[in-house]
Amino acid sequence: MVKAIDNRWWLAAAVAGFAALPWGLGIYHQHVLIVSLFYVMMTASWNLLAGYTGQVSFGHAAFAGIGAYASGILATKVGLNPWLGVGAGTLAAAVFGFLLGVLCLKMGGIYLSLTTLGFSEILHIIINNEYEITRGTMGLQVPGLIAEYSKLAYFYIFLAGAIITLAVVHRLIHANIGLNFRAVQNDERAAAALGVDVVRVRVLAFTVSSALAGMAGALYGHYLLLITPQIPSLDQQFLVLSMTVIGGLGSFAGPVIGAFGLEILSEYIRAYGEYHVLAFGLVALIVARFAPRGLVGVWKQFMDRRRPAA
Amino acid sequence: MALLEGRRLSKRFGGVQALTEVDFAVEAGAIVGLIGPNGAGKTTLFNIVAGALPPGEGQVVFDGWPITGKPAFRICRRGIARTFQVTRPFGEMTCLENVAVAIVNRRPDLGRAAWGPMAMEYLEAVGLGALAETAAKHLNVIQKKRLEIARALATEPKLLMLDEVLGGLNTQEIQEAVGFIRDLRDTRGLTVFWIEHVMGAIMQAAEKVIVLDQGRVLMVGTPKAVVADERVISAYLGT
Repeated sequence: MVKAIDNRWWLAAAVAGFAALPWGLGIYHQHVLIVSLFYVMMTASWNLLAGYTGQVSFGHAAFAGIGAYASGILATKVGLNPWLGVGAGTLAAAVFGFLLGVLCLKMGGIYLSLTTLGFSEILHIIINNEYEITRGTMGLQVPGLIAEYSKLAYFYIFLAGAIITLAVVHRLIHANIGLNFRAVQNDERAAAALGVDVVRVRVLAFTVSSALAGMAGALYGHYLLLITPQIPSLDQQFLVLSMTVIGGLGSFAGPVIGAFGLEILSEYIRAYGEYHVLAFGLVALIVARFAPRGLVGVWKQFMDRRRPAA
Repeated sequence: MALLEGRRLSKRFGGVQALTEVDFAVEAGAIVGLIGPNGAGKTTLFNIVAGALPPGEGQVVFDGWPITGKPAFRICRRGIARTFQVTRPFGEMTCLENVAVAIVNRRPDLGRAAWGPMAMEYLEAVGLGALAETAAKHLNVIQKKRLEIARALATEPKLLMLDEVLGGLNTQEIQEAVGFIRDLRDTRGLTVFWIEHVMGAIMQAAEKVIVLDQGRVLMVGTPKAVVADERVISAYLGT
């Protein structure tokens, strides 16, 4: 009990400290923090699916794209308020996630990965070709969330988005449904034999995860003010995957650590061109093979080993 | 009255006819043994009843409900629990959480504070209380079989289907296990449908034995009648 209270204080202190951080930083570093927070939303929600139910989706960036374009198109064509647009984008991603989930989650295993990969490519082609609506590779110019552009304000908006995302994930994995998530991941036949509606559990995880990606994408679009096919690209997808795997798949803190670590690192090595995604992918492969619980797992192992000695 | 009934069940895997027009009945409150040589189709029969495999032909009726081809989780919620011959623990979860999965899908209203003690009772019933917080992957084979039984019981079934739970036990442990299973029937009113290679256990515990051979029912009778039967002996020893 004492420990739980301790943890809560630590968490509050960390969030408060982090919230004060951008005041001492320049615009460039504020930008890096905002992008990092976008990736926290992406990795935490992808982890809900991949880390806790064992369903590897390659469509997470695509769902972020759906969120971004849904909100952006509504803002430019209908003049919808961007805040409502974020809600609409979240909803659109949830609907697509649900439909795709119902279609392919009955099959399980590798099929979700293949279907989402295909879905991602199809979406990419549509965005590139429906120039009239999406402005193709030129990008769609969209209004911002706030009248007067301020990095500081966007930082807090993204911080709120990240906290909402993490809260949803935390809530789900610690509820009874979280037990079902893990049971399905560990052994779906045994789960079904104990009364777990495996397909329903998977569709739920997929829908929630997609919706959160949609929210992240919509917010991101209204921050960049220009939505390009880069948001729903496979590059983006593999970056999110690498961040989660390196940070720690299936752990709560892992995706957060991975998102900040790799985003900040990629800013430093950007000078060497776009090879950083490739490099991260390779590192992620190595981590997945030798330390499947990522940095968080390595840290836990280290602490466990120290404990008996102390 | 039969709690579980199979009517003309057939199942084919490619060129292999695993079951051919199998008729069987499991009476409410009974312990019914299912025996037969390897490859006789015993586990296939279990899988069809539990919804883990779609049947080729035929019907399964449980408690008056046709459950043929229904998904496994619905059949579980109707009141059939099964264990797996090759155990299937949720390896990364603790023993307590393993059992909790069975509880929360029956009682979604329960929070951790409520299902914790309940799960503990099931674990204690099979002698795994001390390992409640251990990840299931660290259990040995026999403990994993016990966990299978604890999880199955936690679904609060009417019918418990056991698939070779005695493998690897010594004579004394078999005695205890048989006592435990008879106790389940006597105190909880469970019906037990039991695949077992350990004939001594079936002889002691079962009121009725169904013998499968090459996917067909070879005979049905009391344990005594079954072991004395020429056809059963030759099926086991080969002719």
